[in-house]
Amino acid sequence: MRRDPVLEVRRLCKSFVLHAVSGRSVVAFDDVSFSVAAGEHVALAGMSGAGKSSLLKSIYRTYRPNSGEVWLQIHAGKYVDMCALSDIEVATIRGHEIGYVSQFLRSEPRRGALDIVMKSARQRGMNESDAREAAADALQRVGIEERLWDVYASVLSGGEKQRVNLAAGTVHPPRLLLLDEPLSALDPDNRERALVLISALSHRGVAVVSIFHDLEAIRRLATRVLVLERGQLVAERRPDELDERLAAAAR
Amino acid sequence: MNDTFTERRYDIARLAIPEWLLKVERLGKVYGPYDDEIIASTGSERDTAKSSINGSVVAAWDVSFEVAPGEALGIVGESGSGKTTVLRCLAGDFTPSTGSATIRLGSDDVNIFDVEPAQRRRLRVDTVSVVYQDPSEGLKMNVTAGGNIAEPLTAAGWRNFSKIRARASDLLARTEVPLNRMDDLVRAFSGGMRQRVQIAKALANSPSVVLFDEPTTGLDASVAAGVLDLIRSLLEEHRIAAVVVSHDFSVIEMLTSRCLVMHHGRIVESALTDQLLEDPHHPYTQRLVAAARA
Repeated sequence: MRRDPVLEVRRLCKSFVLHAVSGRSVVAFDDVSFSVAAGEHVALAGMSGAGKSSLLKSIYRTYRPNSGEVWLQIHAGKYVDMCALSDIEVATIRGHEIGYVSQFLRSEPRRGALDIVMKSARQRGMNESDAREAAADALQRVGIEERLWDVYASVLSGGEKQRVNLAAGTVHPPRLLLLDEPLSALDPDNRERALVLISALSHRGVAVVSIFHDLEAIRRLATRVLVLERGQLVAERRPDELDERLAAAAR
Repeated sequence: MNDTFTERRYDIARLAIPEWLLKVERLGKVYGPYDDEIIASTGSERDTAKSSINGSVVAAWDVSFEVAPGEALGIVGESGSGKTTVLRCLAGDFTPSTGSATIRLGSDDVNIFDVEPAQRRRLRVDTVSVVYQDPSEGLKMNVTAGGNIAEPLTAAGWRNFSKIRARASDLLARTEVPLNRMDDLVRAFSGGMRQRVQIAKALANSPSVVLFDEPTTGLDASVAAGVLDLIRSLLEEHRIAAVVVSHDFSVIEMLTSRCLVMHHGRIVESALTDQLLEDPHHPYTQRLVAAARA
C-alpha cells in the first residue's frame, strides 16, 4: 500500500522574463510532476543548468512558478496548494512545514548561530525555551561547538556556515526538507555526521528532496532519483541503477 | 486520495495564520484637481506621476495592503515613488484624497481617515507611532530625552511624575541610551542617539502599529547597523504591526517578510521579500534589484 504523499508537484513550469534583455524569456523547467511520501528521499540529478535548484526554489516559493501546483500536506489528509495561497499564508506555512538548506548560508547580518537556529525553531511553532533547547541540540548534532554559538554567523568558515544552515533546516524536524548541495563545504568527519543526520530524519518520516553533487551521498540516502535534462524530467531511477552517464550528470 | 487535493482551504487555527491589524484600501493622494482621465494619464506605465492634462501630481493611487501583528511590511521604491506619501497619510501628517485605513482595536474596526480630530490625535498617541528619518520631526530638540518621552505618556493620561520617570528610563535602557543622558537636551545628542530616543518615544504607549520612514538613512554605517539591530529585536519582542519605508534593500531584507514596490505613485509588485530579491517580475523591480546587487 502506498503512503499518502507529503509533497505532490503537478505540471509545474517556471520561466524568467528578463526585461533588461528586451523581455527575453528563459525557461528554468517545464511541466514537472512528481510526488514524495513521508520518509521518502528523492534526489534530483542532472547537469548544472538542468533546472534542479530552480525546482527546489519553486517548491519553497522563493521563485514563483508560472503554472502548475505544489500540494503540501499540512496534517493528516489535509493539503494546500502553495501556488494558490496568499503571501502571508505561504510565509507562515513554509516556516512551519518546510526546511530549506541551500549550499550557502545567506546569514542575516549580525546574528549568531544559536539565534538563527532558534528563529527557525520558533517558526516551526516552538515556544522560546523549547526553541533554545532544540537549537542547542541541533547545533551539537552538526558539531558546532558551544563557543561559536554567539559568534555572528557571517564570520564563520564556509563549512561551519553550512552546518548552521543544516541545523536551522532540520531543527524540530519539518514535514518536508529541501536540500541544495548541503554537504559541499564539509570535511569528511562533518560530512559523515550530516549524512547520518539526514538519514535519521528520513527514518523519522521527513520527506526529502535533494540535490547532491556526489554519487555516494545519493546512493546512501536517496530512495529514488529523478533525472532532469534542460528543464524536463526525463527519467526515474533507483539509486543503485545510476550508470556512468547519470553519475556524470549528477556531478 | 485524490479527494484530499480538492481541499483548498485548511485549518487556520492550527497554523495560526495571523489576521490583519492594519488594512489600507485604495489609498490615494493627489495634489491638484483630478478625474478618472487625469489619474489614467499618470502611473508606472506612463512613466510619470504628473498629469500632462492639468499638471496634477498623483503621489499615490490605489494603494491597498494589510499588515498583521508581529509582521513587518516593507515599501520600497526610489525617491518620488510615493512610499513616504503613503506613510505620512497613515501617520496623519497628510490628508489622503481617497481611500481608507482600518485599524482593528479589540472588536472594533476604526477607519483612521474618518474619525474626529481629537480621536485621531489620541490614536496617534497610543496606537499608531511613527519613527521619522529626521529625528527633529519626531522629537523636540530643545527638550530633554526624558521630557520627549514623557510627552506621549502625559498625553495618554499619565500623571505620576516618578512613574513617568521610571517608564522613560525603562524605554531608554531598552533602546540602549545611557541613563545619565536622560536629562540632556536632545539637541546635544548624536544622530544615532537621537534616533534611539525617537524609537523610545514611539514605543512609549506600547502602540500596536509602528511606521518607520527610512529609519537609518543618513546615519553612518556602523551606527545604522546598531539602530537596525535594535528595530529588529523590538519587532521580534513585541507583536507590533510595522510598516517600513526604505529605498535600501538591505534594510528591507533584514526587517521585513513581505514587501510592496512603488513606482510613480502605484504599487507595481507585491511579494514575499525573498521572492522580490530572487525572482522580481516587474521591469521596475528588476531594475531596482539589479541596481542593489551591483
